[in-house]
Amino acid sequence: MTVPAFNYLKPDSLAEALDMLATEPGAYPIAGGTNLMVDVRAGKLSPETMIDVGDLDELRGIVVKDSQMTIGGAVTIAELLRHEIIRQRVPVLFAAGKTFANTLIRNRATVGGNLVNAAPCSDTAPALLVLDAEVSLSSSSGTRWIPLTEFLVGAFQTQRRADELLMEVRFPIPPASSRGGFEKMGLRKISCMAKVDVAVMADFDERGACKDARIALGAVAPIPLRAEKAEASLVGTAFIARAPEKPVRCGEQVQDKTIEEAARLAGEAASPRSGSEYKRQVVYGLTRRILTAMATGIRDGEAS
Amino acid sequence: MTERELQIIGRDFPRKDAVARVTGKERYTVDISLPRMLHGRILSSPYAHANILSIDTSMAEAMGVTVITFADVPQKRYNERIITIPPVLHKDHTVLADKVRRMGEAIAAVAAETEELAERAVRAIKVEYEVLPALVDAQEAMKPDAPAIYDTVMFGETEIAIKNNIACTRDIDEGDYETALAQADVTVEGSFKLEKIYHAQMETKSCVCRPEPDGGLTVWPTTQSIHNVRILLGEIFDIPLSKVNVHRVPIGGTFGSSIQMNAPIPICAALALKSGRPVKLTLTREEDAHDHTRYGGTIDIKLAAKSDGTLLGADMKVVADIGVHNIQAYSFLGVSIGWLVSLYKIPNIRYRGTAVYTNKALSCAMQGFGNPQVTFAAESLMDELADKLNIDPIDLRMKNYIGLGDTFWGQGPQVKSVVLSDGVPELMRKGAELIGWSKRITTEARRLTKSNSDRVRRGIGVGRGFHTSSAGAPQPGDVIDFSGAMVKLNIDGSVDVITALMDHGGGTLEALAKIVGEELGVPFDLVNMAPAETCSTVYDCVTHATRGVYAGGGAAYKAAHSLRKEIIETAAKFLNVYPDALDLKLDDEKGQGVVYCRSIPEKQMTLKEIATRCWSESWKTIAAVESYRPTNCPPAYVTVFVEVEVDTWTGVVTTKNVAMGSDCGTVMNPAMAIGQLEGGLSKGAGYALFETNGWDAEGQLLSRGSWMDMKVAGIGEMPSNDGLHMHFADSYEPTGPFGAKGIGEAAMNPVAAAYANAITNAIGIRFYELPITPERILKALEKGGERS
Repeated sequence: MTVPAFNYLKPDSLAEALDMLATEPGAYPIAGGTNLMVDVRAGKLSPETMIDVGDLDELRGIVVKDSQMTIGGAVTIAELLRHEIIRQRVPVLFAAGKTFANTLIRNRATVGGNLVNAAPCSDTAPALLVLDAEVSLSSSSGTRWIPLTEFLVGAFQTQRRADELLMEVRFPIPPASSRGGFEKMGLRKISCMAKVDVAVMADFDERGACKDARIALGAVAPIPLRAEKAEASLVGTAFIARAPEKPVRCGEQVQDKTIEEAARLAGEAASPRSGSEYKRQVVYGLTRRILTAMATGIRDGEAS
Repeated sequence: MTERELQIIGRDFPRKDAVARVTGKERYTVDISLPRMLHGRILSSPYAHANILSIDTSMAEAMGVTVITFADVPQKRYNERIITIPPVLHKDHTVLADKVRRMGEAIAAVAAETEELAERAVRAIKVEYEVLPALVDAQEAMKPDAPAIYDTVMFGETEIAIKNNIACTRDIDEGDYETALAQADVTVEGSFKLEKIYHAQMETKSCVCRPEPDGGLTVWPTTQSIHNVRILLGEIFDIPLSKVNVHRVPIGGTFGSSIQMNAPIPICAALALKSGRPVKLTLTREEDAHDHTRYGGTIDIKLAAKSDGTLLGADMKVVADIGVHNIQAYSFLGVSIGWLVSLYKIPNIRYRGTAVYTNKALSCAMQGFGNPQVTFAAESLMDELADKLNIDPIDLRMKNYIGLGDTFWGQGPQVKSVVLSDGVPELMRKGAELIGWSKRITTEARRLTKSNSDRVRRGIGVGRGFHTSSAGAPQPGDVIDFSGAMVKLNIDGSVDVITALMDHGGGTLEALAKIVGEELGVPFDLVNMAPAETCSTVYDCVTHATRGVYAGGGAAYKAAHSLRKEIIETAAKFLNVYPDALDLKLDDEKGQGVVYCRSIPEKQMTLKEIATRCWSESWKTIAAVESYRPTNCPPAYVTVFVEVEVDTWTGVVTTKNVAMGSDCGTVMNPAMAIGQLEGGLSKGAGYALFETNGWDAEGQLLSRGSWMDMKVAGIGEMPSNDGLHMHFADSYEPTGPFGAKGIGEAAMNPVAAAYANAITNAIGIRFYELPITPERILKALEKGGERS
């Protein structure tokens, strides 16, 4: 099937873009087009009008201010990965970006687009969820900020109104005392959709006790889930302080009941809604892998 | 041929088409644009099985486009692959369908000034369907009450009825299986299930067709055989072959997908003939994915052996899911048992093969023509037998393999061949050394040790296999297999090689340039692989069956050898020396071939001097044309050792090390030969670990043809460079050009088997179904209670 004809509008300013969205009912904002154009070609979408917001300055920046990071909606995944502070201070998002599709798609796909598309297997959503991210939505009548948890409503459903543009995503930069990780399970190692994503962020006091833990599971439910029981089981424990002195070799296990229990609870959180025993097992495995890596500083399989 | 010192073969040169390919300047079919060319689009059926009650094209025609339906095309049935001789050829295909038999079946087609208009016109065609139950499972399709996909097909010139959707059957018995079974000490058996996966070639099927004022056609198609396309178009449209000219166009990979005349080609021709204008028709990826697959189905094998591991007999049953067309099912059933009995000496066999129509994409050859499927089954069982008898898997294989001096029939019982070159012992020894086989823990020992509770478990597996180089045989059989080539010497000492042989990207034509250069003493740079079209080339059957270098190269060698004789005889006259006293070699200093007298060194002429004198004295062009029928089809052996890591938490398999060895005889293009092995490894890994292709109950392809759901192996699945050990046996095939055999399909054939055996070695569980996905691994571990 070839791509059916549609009107293509390219606003020069944000104001013009918002005005177009207000006056063109049914128009789709488009940036990278890595989801939209595929759907249009497959006949799942037949928009009359597309408004290209990919080059708007207001959507293109990554700003760090007062230990808060703000990422423009049209920032590409590749740009995210090139950002030094994200690489060093926000490993959970960096790791999610690294697993995202493939180089070609990362060069075009945008953070805002990935969130607005709201696919259950979005890789950025679970990572941003454990960072307590909020998103801003603008229309010609104003701007509102809402937590990502509220923004995502269901599979391919969000709080965005048709006349609104996702402007920015912001979150507090995790403190130096925190650790996190992200693991994706797909059929292939490159260029695949997640069968399961697990994102973890946790903060620790000076004795190594866990003060706060967040675990999000992607691709197991219409929207990413928080594994709350698993999170609660970690709080107050010192699972990272009990790290063995020598690096864990491939194949060896970190015999830590806390990690195992948290992984088990995370797996249980995945199970009822995904309806798949397999996904429960993988969530268990990935969570255990991330927590083990957080405890040892070494990802499994890398030590050998 | 006897061995001689090589001056060109075995050296790496930049590919002749490298610059064009990597700078985007190569012109594939889709890049061709002709003056006044129209754009074609196909109306694809939204159902898998339906009767067409009516087609209303009036709205489309009102848009000023050309529309064709079944009523506008020749209604004779043909087989798009004419490698089988006419009397025993099954024919079930027409240019456009009179009935829907698969999802995406071409019902009508349109040619319009723009692609967009063509698309709109296609959508304006109204078709009334009577939807029939779709048959997506071969077992269901054979049931007596299943609806008939075809009532009749043509067999040669006879119309035959199709019963229970069975396209054909083939039973082969050798020796006495029942007695062998009674004498056996041990048996192993398995029922193996194989996916009908998509070829996933880079370029989708495409065609440009220009009607000529004399009623003829000029065609630029994606194909592996320009001559077979020409013959079929001539037959279907009743045009003399002298008026059908098919060009060879560079192709973006095939893996076998263009082994037959592709479905869009005659549709494009029909549109061109009706509109009187050139037409281009290119399948979208989605259309292409609905068009063709590898053969899927089930393979049941029981092996009977003595306690020392000697194989006595095999009982084999194949049910092949051939999809919507019988391309070459009878041959497929023949080779399925052929691959097994050519891999190992099995004196007594009982074989029952059944090929079944289903409402799915057609099955055609795909890198191995059944061989990867059978080798997966056979090599899995050989490991099981080794375990059962407590024999090392390598020893068991070496005891039974078919090697030097043995006769075999890989391409079916009519294609007998004798093994004259055998690198298997070397491949096994070297591969075992490279992978560290001596440190491998046996599967049985692993089951008992504590390493069985590790989260990440390593395993090593071996798979060996082969593919025949061509389908050559001493006698004619059911299958056509010969090549031809022309070589001519230009007045500056360069040569033109004119052959219809197709290069799928693996470097077949590079090898031919080397063969001709070597035989004539002409530097690689001065050998021109001329553009080819059917009107100015002699027949070449098709590049398939790992025959390009061996048989296509054999034809080029034969032509070059004739030319060499004529050059020497001509020089003999000029030099006043007897031809037998002359020799020919590449003179590196002169940068060209020189004919010289061994005992009187001053008696010599360069090829340029010889050809120039022939020209200036108005005598002749030195040229030769030859046809070549290979009378042998030597096995190109490949042995693969794979070391994997299985993560028992996620079921993910990671390839750590691979030692892959090939016996392709003389290695023509070393770097490209390694590329062939790596490519075979990559495709084999995908087949083993994750490629699926499912259809729902309505016959809809689950992936809808989207790459997101059609997983093929990418570079990310390959081991690191440190983990890749490719090697070649020191081997010389006496019947091949300069000792060469094939390589391409052989490189893929044993890979899935090696993976399966490595996974079994790691976790102690055997899999009988491909792909071995993480989900299946976790499920099996859960069942076996062996997850850490």
